[in-house]
Amino acid sequence: MLRIECPCCGPRDHDEFRYGGDASVTRPAYDDPDFEAWYRYVFVRENPAGLHREYWQHVVGCRQWLVVERDTRSHTIASIRFARETRA
Amino acid sequence: MRRLAIGGRIDRSQPMEFTFDGRAMTGFRGDTLASALLANGVRLVGRSFKYHRPRGILSAGPEEPNALVTLGTGGRREPNLTATTVELADGLVAESQNRWPSLKFDAQGINGLFAPFLSAGFYYKTFMGPTRRAWMFYEHFIRKAAGFGRAGEEPDPDRYDVRHLFADVAIVGSGPAGLSAALAAGEAGARVVLIEQDFALGGTLLSDPQDSESAAWLSGMLARLAGMPNVSLMTRTTAFGAYDGNVLGLVERHGSGTADPKEGQARQMLLLLRAKSIVYASGALERPLTFANNDRPGIMLASAARIYLNRFAVLTGTRVVVATDNDSAYRAAFDLATAGAEVTIADSRAEPIHDLREQARRRGVAVRTNSLIANALGRRAVRAVSLSEPGGAATVRCDLVAVSGGWSPTVHLTSHFGVKPVYREDIQTFVPGKLGAGRFVAGAVMGGLTTAGAIEQGHRAGVDASAFCGAAKAVQQPVRLELTEIDAGPDDSPLGTSLRPAPLAQLVRGGYGSPAILPELHRPRRSGETSHAKRTRGGDEEGAKLAAGKAFVDIQMDVTTQDIALAHREGYESVEHLKRYTTLGMGTDQGKTSNFYALSAMAGLRGMAVPEVGTTTFRPPYTPVAIGALAGRSIGHHYKPIRRTPMHDWHVANGAQMLEGGLWMRPWFYRTSGRDVNEAYVAEMRMVRETAGLMDISTLGKIDVQGPDAAEFLDRVYANGFARLPVGRARYGIMLRDDGIVFDDGTTTRLGERHFFMTTSTAKAADVMSRLEFLLDTAWPDLRVSVTSVTYEWAAMSVAGPNSRDILAAAFPDLDVSNEALPHMGLLEEQYRDMHLRIIRLSFSGERAYEIYVGASLGNEVWCRLMEAGAPFGLKPYGVEALGALRVEKGHIAGPEIDGRTTLDDLGLSRMVGKRSGYVGEVLERREAFSDPARPRLVGLRCFEPGKQLHAGAILFRPNESLQGHGLGRITSVTYSPALDAWVALGLLAREAAVEGAEIVAASPIIGQAVRARVVSPIFLDPKGERLRG
Amino acid sequence: MADSSTMAGFEMAADDCVIVQFEGWDGAMAQFEAQLRRMLDGPLPNEVGETVRHDSWVVIRVAPRRFWLLGDDPLPIRDIDPELGCTLPLGEGRVRLRLFGGVIKHVLERCVAVDWKTLGEGRAVQTGLHRVPILLLRRSAFECDLLVPRSFSKSMTEWIADASTAGP
Repeated sequence: MLRIECPCCGPRDHDEFRYGGDASVTRPAYDDPDFEAWYRYVFVRENPAGLHREYWQHVVGCRQWLVVERDTRSHTIASIRFARETRA
Repeated sequence: MRRLAIGGRIDRSQPMEFTFDGRAMTGFRGDTLASALLANGVRLVGRSFKYHRPRGILSAGPEEPNALVTLGTGGRREPNLTATTVELADGLVAESQNRWPSLKFDAQGINGLFAPFLSAGFYYKTFMGPTRRAWMFYEHFIRKAAGFGRAGEEPDPDRYDVRHLFADVAIVGSGPAGLSAALAAGEAGARVVLIEQDFALGGTLLSDPQDSESAAWLSGMLARLAGMPNVSLMTRTTAFGAYDGNVLGLVERHGSGTADPKEGQARQMLLLLRAKSIVYASGALERPLTFANNDRPGIMLASAARIYLNRFAVLTGTRVVVATDNDSAYRAAFDLATAGAEVTIADSRAEPIHDLREQARRRGVAVRTNSLIANALGRRAVRAVSLSEPGGAATVRCDLVAVSGGWSPTVHLTSHFGVKPVYREDIQTFVPGKLGAGRFVAGAVMGGLTTAGAIEQGHRAGVDASAFCGAAKAVQQPVRLELTEIDAGPDDSPLGTSLRPAPLAQLVRGGYGSPAILPELHRPRRSGETSHAKRTRGGDEEGAKLAAGKAFVDIQMDVTTQDIALAHREGYESVEHLKRYTTLGMGTDQGKTSNFYALSAMAGLRGMAVPEVGTTTFRPPYTPVAIGALAGRSIGHHYKPIRRTPMHDWHVANGAQMLEGGLWMRPWFYRTSGRDVNEAYVAEMRMVRETAGLMDISTLGKIDVQGPDAAEFLDRVYANGFARLPVGRARYGIMLRDDGIVFDDGTTTRLGERHFFMTTSTAKAADVMSRLEFLLDTAWPDLRVSVTSVTYEWAAMSVAGPNSRDILAAAFPDLDVSNEALPHMGLLEEQYRDMHLRIIRLSFSGERAYEIYVGASLGNEVWCRLMEAGAPFGLKPYGVEALGALRVEKGHIAGPEIDGRTTLDDLGLSRMVGKRSGYVGEVLERREAFSDPARPRLVGLRCFEPGKQLHAGAILFRPNESLQGHGLGRITSVTYSPALDAWVALGLLAREAAVEGAEIVAASPIIGQAVRARVVSPIFLDPKGERLRG
Repeated sequence: MADSSTMAGFEMAADDCVIVQFEGWDGAMAQFEAQLRRMLDGPLPNEVGETVRHDSWVVIRVAPRRFWLLGDDPLPIRDIDPELGCTLPLGEGRVRLRLFGGVIKHVLERCVAVDWKTLGEGRAVQTGLHRVPILLLRRSAFECDLLVPRSFSKSMTEWIADASTAGP
């Protein structure tokens, strides 16, 4: 049972969230025609044994998307931020 | 064996009646089932797993390998409970296991004769032929022969529950370390929960006599803790698992005092405790010794013999041999002697400390040094032991053998996070590894040797844990326990510590214990070897005697030292292979009394140090947990929540056969249409095409999209354009995934310049919602768009059929629903009387149809109004079966076609996109692989074989082709078409074979059918859509 | 599940309520909140989970840029400037369950993973109840409101009633 601390709702069980995949990949602009960029974004992953930046959505709470830094070996969570903030 | 007249922590004023294997017996409140059985003189409590050897009670705790019982009858039957932890209750019905016809005369005892063939992994080597199926035949009998208790087969009438708890500091264990931690953390102001699996608090302190200093300390501590409102003490609660985020899984058993819980009370409760910090004070488990026939009834852990004496007032033997390799067993010896037993200590060490020998002498306890038990004699009860000593063999008669091979800290919970235990050479045992922040250890579990130390460590852990949580009020010094010698001698040195720190030389063979000593037979002798074992065994004759008996390492799984040697010989050397090849450590006790010996034995065989061999992984649960507790109340009707539309009750009252669709209940068909679904859906289809039908579509996903950039947003998420959709119009839209595959389809209506109403499929509603939010939060945060799920905000229904307009006009006379006011794909949003109506002219069925949306609280009212107004026009309700069939006739794609593998091109919809760009999925949609001519595309299929029907999932082949392999495609959706009087289907067929008019074979090998059909346009009816317009 | 056998002193009642959602655009929040404050003639909750009472209705901050107005009577709403935010009525989709009783903590801990002990009066928590998203609003020491999706309301009341039949 992971406990994820939503920045505005506080610590919650992980089953309040929906996992959204790797957050370290760069999404191309909506009108970017570069095939390679989209291919990398959709299919290529580092899959690190260690800290992993990933998306989680607090679906039964504030519905915000978060960027979580989680160690894939120990499940220790190093940081959590709103996804919106990380874009700024 | 007998119950003493005084002493113990039992309440002799509360006798309790129970039965064991049908025999009526009496015990007292405060007894466990095991102590009550012992008090009643019961030695034989079970038969072993493989060899069906007679077994007695070995321990006094959850590490018990032998005394497994089944409690309860009927649906309450619960097998494999350890009698040593079952709290005695009035009316308890207990049965022994794994024996037939009875414990005494178990027929499978003869398995012992086959023992040479039943060694570890025997089933991998025998039972291998004559055919591959033969194993399944043999397995049937092997399973019946081996095994533990039998589970009940009737529904369980008891209640189970789940509770969510929170705490600052969770403490596992209520021994001296745990209690000290609780007091310190409580004084510091933290919210404390102390968890104890026993029904009494005190841990190891409960093994001391009631009039001892430690008993007084215990009472004092409990009184103080009871007075602290921020400290919660939980008994009968096992912490079975530690999970990420410092969440502890606990199971709490009812303590009603009777066999069954009180009315409304749960039998067991799962508690999920979310703690900010955890203190592990789970103590240590004693190890038995390994010698031939070390599994006989009457052989018990030394600490257990002491617990039965001091806590339960049961003297388990009158002539006792205490065999040990460390100091702690001396306490058992002394207490037993004080109670009147004749005690002999067989100490494997050369020179126990002088002080202990003095104590022994004063109590009349004989001490033999350099003494190892070679063999235990007696079958259904031990009657003597054969000792191996430098001076030769010696036989000592006894009725109780109390053994101690050292102690293993109970590290299990600390390892659940994946932190492997570490080996401490100085005390020859594994202790917890380095735990993360917020996790602390104290007492015997961390290798602490003394009670005083446990108190100090517990106090420290309590202070640290509460500080970690931010609770830092002033804490007093720990309440020390001044243990003085029971019988003070001239040296006046304290004795009453669990384990006495001894000089280093002795610690190698004392302290926490020494590695297993294997019989020498299987190890090749090297010249000049003078091993400890060889010296003490005195030669081959002794070796031969040794060969006559099994020396058990895992007593529950019947795994012997010979099995370990066998595993090693056959190459199963790693500890993980050893475990699985021999089944060592795989029983209900999970090897609590055997793991360490197995590791050290294997280490010895491989010539390695113990830490190099390592340990297997500890996983939850620490002790078995009933599945009922994990399920809690989520069973039967409450298995999952049920989602009902606003018209649900009307459907049920009007003959609908309801169907589960995910969490929704939907009308499948109406029994007024036909006797079964096949009859009904055809009738309902006809009705919709010829007159009109009313369908509840409230389950569709609905999303409100608003904002200055809403149009731009929709233009990006849909493959076809929406920015230029006029206000008051609806448009069918398709969304792609980022990889170019079709994601979902739906209809979006423009309510205003900046306001859209999106619908999605029922199944994908949640996914689409999350996707939209994801794009706004992570990809395009600059877009000013608000998306909100309004699925349950609106009741929705569809009137479809040639009479639909007339019915709508009759239901809402004041509304202008003419073709001019409300054309195909048009919107009418009006206040009708006091109702806000949203009417969108859309069709899924291919007939003229109107989707009517109204606030959920008014759904039933509007539905009834339509039914009433529609009656003269022949309006009847129809269900999802007919809905699905109608759309197939019209070639509309739905879930079966949008299965996560198809593209717009595959589905023949690329014309929807035209020359657009800048939408999700656009770039990867253009990849080469998607234009492979072998890719299947959407076709219609019409069966032309009379009397046969098409089946969804059928694989498509060319005629005269062998019906093997992947074929050319598959059928995705099927229906009988009453309009065409034929079976039709939508399918995906390789482009090269998808020629209109071509003949195709649809094969369903699982049901043994192959049907011929013709490729046709997927729009089977009204290809120009004329019925929709006008 | 009938409530005749619920724990002594536990009551649960269901009714409709009015909910209006207001959302402001990221980057325009200061002005949006200013306009909303003027419209409501009172302060707004600062953090998610905080609530502010205005006469007969409650303002709840349910997300960083989203507010819910909760009340019984139709709410006096004027349009928000579309350059600052937007508004949406949501009352139809939810049923309000009012829970009351001395044993409310025992019932709730069998339903939601919420620490009742540390949940202040007037705080709102969005969480899952039997896997359904709900909003819990603590009204007093022994009282709370649950906003549950209408389509799940019967299922929720049965689940909660079942929890309340638990013995000691």
